Amino acid sequence: MYHTGTYLSADSPLHRLDPRIKLAGVVGLSIIILMLGALPLLFVCLALLALICQSGIKMRTIGQALQPLLFFIVLIFLVHTFLAKGENLPGTSGLALSFSWGGLQEGVFVSLRFVCLVVAAVLLTLTTPPSQMIAALKFFLQPLKKLRLPVDNMIFMIMLALRLLPVLLGEKERIETARKARGYNIRQLGYSARIKTFLTFVTRILWNVFQRADELSAAMIARNYQAGPRTSFVTLKPIDAKFIILLALIFCLVFFVALISFFG
Amino acid sequence: MGAELGMITLDDVYYRYEPDGIDALCGITLKIKAGEHLALIGPNGCGKTTLIQHLDALLLPSRGAVTIDGLDTRDAAQEVAVRSLVGMVFQNPESQIVGMTVEEDVAFGPENLCLPSAEIRQRVEEALAKVGIAALAKRNIEHLSGGEKRMVAIAGVLAMQPRYIAFDEPTAFLDPAASARILEIIDRLNAENIGIIHITHNMAEAAQASRIVVLNRGRLCLDGTPPEIFSRVEQLRKIGMQLPQITEMMFQLQSQGFPVRTDIVRLEDAIAQIQSWAQSR
Repeated sequence: MYHTGTYLSADSPLHRLDPRIKLAGVVGLSIIILMLGALPLLFVCLALLALICQSGIKMRTIGQALQPLLFFIVLIFLVHTFLAKGENLPGTSGLALSFSWGGLQEGVFVSLRFVCLVVAAVLLTLTTPPSQMIAALKFFLQPLKKLRLPVDNMIFMIMLALRLLPVLLGEKERIETARKARGYNIRQLGYSARIKTFLTFVTRILWNVFQRADELSAAMIARNYQAGPRTSFVTLKPIDAKFIILLALIFCLVFFVALISFFG
Repeated sequence: MGAELGMITLDDVYYRYEPDGIDALCGITLKIKAGEHLALIGPNGCGKTTLIQHLDALLLPSRGAVTIDGLDTRDAAQEVAVRSLVGMVFQNPESQIVGMTVEEDVAFGPENLCLPSAEIRQRVEEALAKVGIAALAKRNIEHLSGGEKRMVAIAGVLAMQPRYIAFDEPTAFLDPAASARILEIIDRLNAENIGIIHITHNMAEAAQASRIVVLNRGRLCLDGTPPEIFSRVEQLRKIGMQLPQITEMMFQLQSQGFPVRTDIVRLEDAIAQIQSWAQSR
């Protein structure tokens, strides 16, 4: 079972790019997206589109990754459209909620901003194998070791969480299918019954996942896992001029946008 | 019986899951030589999985001792060494794959041993090549079929370069082609002098081993070569086990008056028997 948004192996410049640059790039881009106004945001959209095209990822895949968030996107749009102040559009002045041209613009802008953030993150996860992502994260978190933080264990926890997410989704699908196969239909139930079945559903999933976690931990122990430092087969390229220039570029860009948005 | 090198020994091993529960293993005494191919059979709940979990120090005997090449599994200081010697392929590959991509998962064991990157990479490549899935190295685990996932699980164990590998029903839920590939890999590993402990419910698979151990209710009830074991028909039937189809057929032929031998577990031997009978007429 494939779950949307997780790594898809392919070969493209974006796939080959140093994971540290990609990680820093996404963080930088997210900051930029949050600072930009409506018009410059369109440029970010275009840039993201260009990146999607050159990475060879299908638009459908991006759409699938956005699908579960559709509810939030619509919610963000509606909240901003109706809560922004402005002159009501003709013909809507009698309504209880304000509905203005400015509000509509605000709604589109904020939801677009959200979509851009998600697409940037999805591009990272689609083109970077988790092991490389973990290696990049380790690289940036390494200084925290000086503060005696258990960086190795923290990173391993993130890795396991990434691994268990699809397990959780798979478990949910399995139980749903098992229920459907026995003629279960939520639409036929009343609200209190729905809530009750939902609770048993959640309990069942948690039960199964705990069991899976138990098995997984036995398998990890059998393969000699012990909390603490581990090595990795991923070797990041040594830091070269290109790496420093790209990292500096990202930093400058963020700094530049910050300057403009605060003083411009 | 002292600790011996070059073999796994179980010395009067008892195990209970609950302090006041029943004995899941009662007084198992067994020696498994390096390079042996041992099939472990018995009805569900007879203690097969409990037994192999003792080989990897995942479970420690309540009484008695388990030693792997002379290392006592109860000695916490030897845990890493014991688990490096004995690899374990669990029943469900879904719940033993830790990595998100094939090579990441295979690298998990060597990474835990804190080996240098270059060596891990080499071990991963070798392990993937050995089970014939080098082409899948970069693939996301979620995209693989059940058979491929099982191959990944085996490669993950091979990358730790164990001397013994315990397989818990390695062909369960697989189609015939995938099963055949797994069995072929097991044979190949055994030929490389890796000791195999192989739990199975498939009697034809068990018949391919060099030795069969039958467990029932936590006790060791039979131990011998496949022809020896499958000649104890009454005893096997009493505990709900069946004969391999080939042996069953020879018994039926004999009971109908054909002068054939019944200590036959392989198709080739059965054909030879029938041919020699046909020629003698």
